[in-house]
Amino acid sequence: MKVQEILRGVQALVGEVTPIKTVQETQPVEEYDDAYVAGVNVKNAAKVVKVLDAAFPRDPARPMNHLRRFAKQANLPHPLHPLLLADHPSAQTIFVLISPPLPDVGRLQELLAPFVSNPDNAQDPAGQVKLYTVKVPTLPPLGTAQAEKWSKELWPVVYNPAAARGTVSPNIQVLNRTREFIQPDAGRYLALAHKVAEEAEQCGRGRKVGAVVVDPEIVSRILDADEDIESRWADAIVAVAGDARYSRREAGGLSTAELHTGVGPNPATEAYNADLEGGPELHALMRAAEIIAYKRRAGDPEAETDKPSLSPLETYFLAQTDSTESDPQDPSPVPEKYQKTSHDHAQAIPISTSVPADKPTSRIRPRSQGGYLCTDLDVYINREPCVCCCMGLLLSRFRAVVFPQTGRMVTGGLASEPAVRPVSVPVSAAAEDEHEYENEHSKRQNKDTHDQDYAEEAEQRLYYGLHWRKELNWRALGFEFIRDGECGFGDESGEGRAEDRVAFYA
Amino acid sequence: MEQATPEQYYFMEQAFEMAQKALDTGETPVGCVLVNENKIVGYGMNDTNRSMNGTRHAEFIAIQEMLRSYPKSALRSTDLYVTVEPCVMCAAALRQYQIRSVYFGCGNERFGGTGSILSLHSDFAIDPPYPVYGGLQRNEAIMLLRRFYIQENEKAPKPRPKKHRELNTRFDGDSGSANLMAE
Repeated sequence: MKVQEILRGVQALVGEVTPIKTVQETQPVEEYDDAYVAGVNVKNAAKVVKVLDAAFPRDPARPMNHLRRFAKQANLPHPLHPLLLADHPSAQTIFVLISPPLPDVGRLQELLAPFVSNPDNAQDPAGQVKLYTVKVPTLPPLGTAQAEKWSKELWPVVYNPAAARGTVSPNIQVLNRTREFIQPDAGRYLALAHKVAEEAEQCGRGRKVGAVVVDPEIVSRILDADEDIESRWADAIVAVAGDARYSRREAGGLSTAELHTGVGPNPATEAYNADLEGGPELHALMRAAEIIAYKRRAGDPEAETDKPSLSPLETYFLAQTDSTESDPQDPSPVPEKYQKTSHDHAQAIPISTSVPADKPTSRIRPRSQGGYLCTDLDVYINREPCVCCCMGLLLSRFRAVVFPQTGRMVTGGLASEPAVRPVSVPVSAAAEDEHEYENEHSKRQNKDTHDQDYAEEAEQRLYYGLHWRKELNWRALGFEFIRDGECGFGDESGEGRAEDRVAFYA
Repeated sequence: MEQATPEQYYFMEQAFEMAQKALDTGETPVGCVLVNENKIVGYGMNDTNRSMNGTRHAEFIAIQEMLRSYPKSALRSTDLYVTVEPCVMCAAALRQYQIRSVYFGCGNERFGGTGSILSLHSDFAIDPPYPVYGGLQRNEAIMLLRRFYIQENEKAPKPRPKKHRELNTRFDGDSGSANLMAE
């Protein structure tokens, strides 16, 4: 059978799975705001905290725990000395910080009045407690160096590694464990993704983009059973999906794929013409989510409506059964995450305990057996998915996404910083000398011209790092695959970097 | 800020009817319509729960319907009216579809892609930017979402109990609901 031949022909790529940094790491934001400082008697420090916290409760959504509440004279940053020490020479004085959001001045002065040090010049001409405005960082420091810098220049700051990392990057143990888990087979799944991509392109239905979705739980069961993953790696694939952007019939006419009667790639692949690009729901990653959703609906009253149209490779994998789950003598343990809800939600009981051995089960659990979106699945894709697909990935609750670094796209949503290029080929630098920025800008606005310089486009791309952004409710682990010896040049088929070719959305 | 026209108001009302329909069928209450030459050419409501596909947002459903009768190029002369600011995914998709302009009800502080979290309508991309106007019937949009999120999601693997939640009917920063603000 042809599909099995393709599977046998998969040559695993050799290389390293590398975590994609988060934008919190690569583009750290420094935000500052005004705060008040007042001098109070050191003996009153505890009372001052009590009074202030009672009057102005702290907002847990804006934690300011990295800012010290008090600074002694010796700990004041030098730039604040002229402002504060002239009025407060007493060694009995300690300085209290009132962090943003700033309270009403009159009320604050009233509260602080009983606690000032008398020898100080602590009152203004109107007899009110003097408040000094200082600038403070509103986000916790990301490292000791930043904390020290702020402490020297602005206000004493505490660095708490745990608090800082939580909003900056995934838990490091989880990230490392997942990377180690993915590393051994990633080259094979990516090589298959490339085969899926070739199928999509060669049949004229889409561009050369392919995705392979793997269930890490099946991988674990194969490994736990001491089975040979070398020969059984394909058993953990739950779905594959190729790009199909040319396959849709619009306005009742023939699709771009149907209009292409010749063999090989669709001529539309040679350029970017928005009218022929279909839409993101026809991209490989979105189609993978759609195919998995279709299987999750098995058993629904209208399970067969919206059945996706499948290629031979897609059909083959969707029909495969899970050979790791059907042995009743050795039922695999109920995964912990389903146990918690199983008493009151019968639907959450997984299939392994209830299905007879003679009935092979799909690798994609239907919703009646607890299957939900693409929860905890990993996707391998040969191109960096577009921003739209990356958010689709999060909304689908994938666990992780892996793509080869040579497959970066100017339209991509995962990379968080430019790739390090080992050899200096100053293509873009030379191009920059020739054109003024203004020219670039006007050219950018005229999208009908197709004479863009792809290298320049790569210079302009944005680095969204969408897989793990603190603002978004859902997050995934993102990895780039860097092939040994290639150092960022040449993809699976020796075609060079995708960013240097025609720009489109993968 | 400018006053919405009666036509804009009408199209947003139609989007709200779709959102209400979504709420009635257990979907996240987001609805939209696509308008081409003053005619509604596509209706959409969230369909993620029924389809088991987290990407089936109202915008995609409406576009899919429209493309049965129109070519993709018609989106260049089409406006979207949606009850909630498009999410990052939909904002990026609308760029690829080269939508003419987007009108939305309330902002989306968790996932919004046209100003709240990201600004995909105006960021660098290989398709032209599109203008976005928010605030049309903002409070109605917020109330619909609140009515939805007060329910439990029994489809999730670990539903969170929400028995003691009360429907919040207050609004802050109320700027009226008949005004449009460019994002």
